[in-house]
Parts: sequence; structure tokens; C-alpha cells
Amino acid sequence: MTATDFTTILKDAPVGEWIALSSDERRIVATAKTLESAINSAHELGEKDPVMMKVPPEGALVL
Amino acid sequence: MDFPYATMPVKPDSAFPHRTVIKRPLLRVTLRYNDRSFSTRAIVDSGADFCLFPASVATQLGVAIPNPKATPFSGTADAPQIAYFETVQATIGNGQPDGTPLTFDLYAGFCETLEHVGLGLLGQESFFSRFIVSFHHSQNLIRIE
Repeated sequence: MTATDFTTILKDAPVGEWIALSSDERRIVATAKTLESAINSAHELGEKDPVMMKVPPEGALVL
Repeated sequence: MDFPYATMPVKPDSAFPHRTVIKRPLLRVTLRYNDRSFSTRAIVDSGADFCLFPASVATQLGVAIPNPKATPFSGTADAPQIAYFETVQATIGNGQPDGTPLTFDLYAGFCETLEHVGLGLLGQESFFSRFIVSFHHSQNLIRIE
């Protein structure tokens, strides 16, 4: 199975901000400092089901 | 149902000087509480005792926190942290070509300390307790049955 590749679209995404990806997860629709703002922006831009995530800062994920 | 791993960019460091990409078992999950829902990504984490999401996810869903269903937990930090729990509806498999999406009740915790990560964790209680989960790292595959 081919891994879902976020390396290209997230490479220059703002670290620590909420990112709204398009429903197919192939492009960034909106970014904002808060989850609510990012979702609202995505909806205003016509994306009904954005996928919300952050680019974690370095060292944030040690699990 | 099979799900792909996800690859994310990382910066090389002294421990991993040649690493620019990291592969994670990152699952798309749609969360619903009453009439509010949205999709996010969560790491399938067999080492987590329970399922956790950033506090702002609760706010966005309309889950009131803090609430009385609180539990302390610890990660790699010394200081204990608090997660507030509520049962939400979760759906995995939206957009997957090989099967009907799976919808189930998820007893999830919400905490401020995951806020900087912006991703959820799908752990033992309520996720691994419900499914048979197998990781096939070399095949980029997570199998959930």
C-alpha cells in the first residue's frame, strides 16, 4: 500500500498552526492560530469537510 | 479495513542526520458530538492507555470541559496532566476505497497538553479494546478488523 504523502503539502506549512486540508487531503485550504478559525475559513472557502491537523513542532511527538 | 501510513516532513537532527521524512500510523477520524462534527487525524498508539485529543477539539465539538470525568495521566514529562472525558461518535474509513466506514462510540479524553501537537491519539481503552489492530510497517499498512 502506498503511504499517504503529506511531505509536500506540509513542508512549508506554518508550524504550530491549525491547518485545514481539503477533503482529499491534497492541498491546504486554510490555516489559523485556532481550530475554530481554521474550520470557519475552510467553510467560507467552500470546503465542507476539511481535515484538521497541525504540523507539530520539532520534538513534539515522542510517544 | 486497511489504512495507509502517512509520511510527514521532519528536519534532520544530530541523532537522525539523514532523516527528512517520518512515517506514522496516522488515521483520519471524523468526530461527532450531538449535531457538531469535523474530521481530524489521530495516531494509532498502542502505548497510550486511552484515546486523547487536544482540548480545542472538545470546544469545537461542543463538549464542555473541564468536566467531572477527569483523570490524571503522565507522558514523558514529570508533571501529571489532566484529561477530561466524554463519549463522542467516531468514524474511520471515510474516503477509503475498500469498505464501509466504521462508526463507533469513542470514550475520548481532551487535554491542553496535546494542543501544541494538534493530533489525537487512539489508544488502548475504547480503540484497541474494540478492534484487532495490526501494523505492517514495511507495507505502509495498518489493518483494523
